[in-house]
Amino acid sequence: MEYPKLYEPGQLNLLFNKREFFICIAQGIYTSVVLFFVPYAVLSDATQSTGEPLADYQTFAVTTATALVIVVSVQIALDTGFWTVINHVFVWGSLGCYFTIMFAMHSQTLFIIFPNQFHFVGRSHSTLLQPVVWLTIALATVICIVPVLAFRFLKLDLKPQLSDTLVRQKKRKPVGRSMGGVRGGVGSVSEGRLGARGSSRRSGYAFAHQEGFGELITSGKNMRLSSLALATFASRHSSSWIDTLRKKKHISFTHSQTYTISYSISPNQH
Amino acid sequence: MKEQQETANRPDNTAFTQQRLPAWQPMLSAGIVIPGFVIIGLAFIGIGIALFVTSQNIQVLERDYTGVENNSPCFKCSDPSTKNCVCKLDFSLDKLFEGPVFFYYGLSNYFQNYRKYGVSRDDRQLSGRLDNFQSPDEGCVPYQYDANNKPIVPCGSVANSLFNDTFKLYQIVNGARKLVPFDGKGIAWWTDHNVKYRNPSITPLKNAFNGTVKPTFWSKPAYELDPSDPANNGFVNQDFLVWMRRAALPDFRKLYRRITEGDYKNGLPAGNYSLEIAYNYPVLDFDGRKKVVFSNVSWMGGKNQFLGIAYLVIGSLCVVMSIVMLIVYAKFKFPDEE
Repeated sequence: MEYPKLYEPGQLNLLFNKREFFICIAQGIYTSVVLFFVPYAVLSDATQSTGEPLADYQTFAVTTATALVIVVSVQIALDTGFWTVINHVFVWGSLGCYFTIMFAMHSQTLFIIFPNQFHFVGRSHSTLLQPVVWLTIALATVICIVPVLAFRFLKLDLKPQLSDTLVRQKKRKPVGRSMGGVRGGVGSVSEGRLGARGSSRRSGYAFAHQEGFGELITSGKNMRLSSLALATFASRHSSSWIDTLRKKKHISFTHSQTYTISYSISPNQH
Repeated sequence: MKEQQETANRPDNTAFTQQRLPAWQPMLSAGIVIPGFVIIGLAFIGIGIALFVTSQNIQVLERDYTGVENNSPCFKCSDPSTKNCVCKLDFSLDKLFEGPVFFYYGLSNYFQNYRKYGVSRDDRQLSGRLDNFQSPDEGCVPYQYDANNKPIVPCGSVANSLFNDTFKLYQIVNGARKLVPFDGKGIAWWTDHNVKYRNPSITPLKNAFNGTVKPTFWSKPAYELDPSDPANNGFVNQDFLVWMRRAALPDFRKLYRRITEGDYKNGLPAGNYSLEIAYNYPVLDFDGRKKVVFSNVSWMGGKNQFLGIAYLVIGSLCVVMSIVMLIVYAKFKFPDEE
């Protein structure tokens, strides 16, 4: 309950409402359009280095499908905030699975058994050897992902959500105790601007995108929020809630670390 | 006892069950994103320049020969009632057309990607199974059985619409015509020729086609497609394979021959040329167009302006965006320094 404002996005439906939904739909439409028209524009006149034209139906299909799988995997990788072993297995595994199944479906063995169903025989082996095909896939991926990346970075910088700010701040301050885990890479405060990257042990929240604040809660430590920070956080809450919080703060135990969150928070508040 | 009961129900204290797995937590910080964008932008600009320069060096010559306009050399052939019409298309080259030169025929407004057209084929028949010679697949309708109820081999509309214009290229040297040799080997995909399409294993091949008829539009049966090369007959005929590979778009080109032999190993020298076309294929009913294309290739294939330009544009956009993000980041992170 140190940061009760973190519950607010859930209560106010901020993370999934009509606006977010339409933004998702718009991004989906944009990606689909890019994923069709980029291979269309490139392959319509392309030939292999041996002269045979690449503009046939099956090459086009393999190129578009591969570009799709790669774009979706990159998007998922961007969304994954916490890479455990399970995440790695599933993301890389799904890519590997796609290529395996594709090569299996285009193999000669299945064609000999079912010629009418598996008539894409040999397609992926020849298509994926062409540099033009990989250049097309790379182009489509970059066109789809770069706007998302830019938008997210700018949003993180200009309008960080409370959870983002807290995650950053936690990474900067070296937290003395370690809860059964190795903490690597948590540097001094001066490193904070570039973001300390390190491994951490998760606790508490199953498959959440944030680490969760189990440690903070269960450690029994109380942090004194400076009044400046409280004032900025109080933008949406009623004053009575802030008053009760202030009262709680005054009854805190002496054994506490004082964080001055204002140092890290205020440059972000614009 | 009670303690044992408690410990029996307690879940395991492993990293997996207690959700303490080691994890990497990447963050979208400025130190990663902005240099990343710059690197991607510069890489794309580099690749774009390479692609664009390569594409500019490729030579392409296209000539439409449908014969729609009055002054077109093939106008006399566009009349559907003329049979076995031959027309001549003249062109000249200013400089050496570097080899190896690839000769394509192109069709426009021709929808090989139409679904009903595309599934009208029998792949079992085409892989040489004799049972399917006598009973072609249902999907081949209406090109499955002919009027006398005899099975059509190869069945289906894709096979039936085989392109049958033929071309001969002559160079005009000192007023005399000199034939430019064509090479028709290996113009189809290797897997098509060796795996997907197989002739039935009966020799002579003609006997395998007993009791069947050729497709209605064809002038010669499948086992006589190439009289000059006995190995190029039946379903593994290179032109047939090239045609059966469905095009994705209504405006497509298909490889016809290569020019790699004899005096023309290094390409087509500058001079006058005359292309003799046996005009058989009717396209004017559906407003289609026919053309011939000469082209040479590089490591990235034929002429492809779009790829080079797209890479250059995206690369520059990435660099511009990284500069914008740097300005935004600097401006908003250090408000006191303004």
